[in-house]
Amino acid sequence: MEHVQTARIPAVRVHRKTKRRNFGEKLFWYVVLILVSIGTVFPFLWIFLTAFKGPLDAVYSTPPQFIPHDPTLDNFVRVWQQLPIGNFFLNTILVAVCTTGLSVLITALAAYPFAKMKFQGRNALFYMLLATLIVPVQLTYIPSFVLAVRFFHYYNSIVALILPNIASVFNIFLLRQAFSSVPDDLIDAARMDGANELRIWWSILLPVIRPSLAAVAIFTFVTSWNDFLWPSLMLPTMANKTLPVGLAALQGMFSSDFRGTAAGVTMTVIPIMIFFILLQKQFIQGLTGAVKG
Amino acid sequence: MTKKLSLTPYLFLTPALLIIAVFVLYPILAVFYYSFTEYDIVTAPRWVGLANYQHLLQDPTFWLALRHSLIYLIVTPTLIILSILLAIAVNRNLPGIQVFRALYYLPAVSGSIAVGITWRWLFDTQGGLLNGMLIWLGVLKEPVQWLSEPAFTLPIAMLLTIWMGVGYYMVIFLAGLQNIPEELYDAAMIDGCNDWQKHWYVSLPGLRPQITFVAVISSLAALKVFDEIYVLTLRSGGILDSGVTMVFMLWKEAFRLSHAGYASAIALVLLAITLVFSVMNIRLQERDAGA
Repeated sequence: MEHVQTARIPAVRVHRKTKRRNFGEKLFWYVVLILVSIGTVFPFLWIFLTAFKGPLDAVYSTPPQFIPHDPTLDNFVRVWQQLPIGNFFLNTILVAVCTTGLSVLITALAAYPFAKMKFQGRNALFYMLLATLIVPVQLTYIPSFVLAVRFFHYYNSIVALILPNIASVFNIFLLRQAFSSVPDDLIDAARMDGANELRIWWSILLPVIRPSLAAVAIFTFVTSWNDFLWPSLMLPTMANKTLPVGLAALQGMFSSDFRGTAAGVTMTVIPIMIFFILLQKQFIQGLTGAVKG
Repeated sequence: MTKKLSLTPYLFLTPALLIIAVFVLYPILAVFYYSFTEYDIVTAPRWVGLANYQHLLQDPTFWLALRHSLIYLIVTPTLIILSILLAIAVNRNLPGIQVFRALYYLPAVSGSIAVGITWRWLFDTQGGLLNGMLIWLGVLKEPVQWLSEPAFTLPIAMLLTIWMGVGYYMVIFLAGLQNIPEELYDAAMIDGCNDWQKHWYVSLPGLRPQITFVAVISSLAALKVFDEIYVLTLRSGGILDSGVTMVFMLWKEAFRLSHAGYASAIALVLLAITLVFSVMNIRLQERDAGA
């Protein structure tokens, strides 16, 4: 008994030492983490605060004033009155939801055979698809513009934003990785039982790779939400615009009204930030499984 | 069984291949054809042979745009280094670490237009926070016209690209770090590595696939930068074309000046550059991996 106790004392001491070292290390990392987060958050914070500034608050002063003394919602009202922000939101949500849904479906279909079936030309086809990742998307905009006007007749409609974006090769690549990590036995067993491939894909594989599907969906949603150049070419009418295109228009209309611009940016940015913060765990976990190189 | 399987993979692939054929493969062929024509999108293209390419070689704006796009590639190594450091910083079990990861990712999800507008105001001469802070701290006496100074246009845009990208690439490297087996770090510790050596000898080699991936993806993104330039220069391309990149020039020629044929020639040059660059990038990484 005594022996055990004497043996314990040094152990406790070592423990305390590592504890102190851990504390110092933790403190160091928290300081680093907080400093970096100031760098990433501060410009947003400044814009958000400016959006609430009243006419008596200085937007520019030395030293800079951050907190509005005279907070108001007028800036939001002014922006809302001059631009169809509600339409922008509805259009953006519609485009992002449709693009995400269709893209996940179509790319998950395409990824399955690349991961789990043997067929003629599999590798050639896959490398050809990968090679298209090199093509700058803006190169395709001239012919796609002509197609939109002449062939699909969806110029100035949000369908033009959905259709070209539902077969992302990037997503096929990520989902192929996810399908590859599913054990073959699972699929073989189902094939023995006579299940057809579509059924295997839908009711066995998709549930297994759900984390990767979630990551791909979140990523596609955010990309679609923020897409700018192609939507700006396709949507000349104000009421049809999406948020980024509308925001660019606002930048021109409110070029000397910083408070109004700030309100516009705030309204655009807050929803997608909340969306991401709510889903970030799924996003990072899904990506961990998907990007194995 | 084999026979039954034979058509199935193609059926699974059909929707994706159809979309890619229409929106990627056909446009490449069409742009190739347009590049030999005079085309304003409204009237039918008129064959002009190599005239667009000859014009391109003599167009000083094109050489400027090319130079700017190549300079822009500096963002790639910067992004790789910063995002690996950041990934190492957030790859630890501290209470609240999820919050920090999210905060670092915010610039990446907020959208280039919203962020670009924010930055335009940050650097604004009259209302800008940067001038306000620097004057208050005594660094500057007079406000600097950051965005009217041609020498600053590209660096500010590149800084913006880095600021927006670092969180995204951090997540990719974080995923990579979490796939490195813990035993490798333990072995390094036993061999007497300190914390930094541990990352140098274990993390960096372990992250090789992600480094290749990020190098390719971020340099492709740098070569096709547009939104940042568009917003920061108020769609002008900057004073004296100081912010004009390949894609900005492509957009301006095709959709503002209705020179779609000429823009197609620019697009093909851009494609050639990205092709060469990606092959070089992958070769370089493979060689490093072999060494």
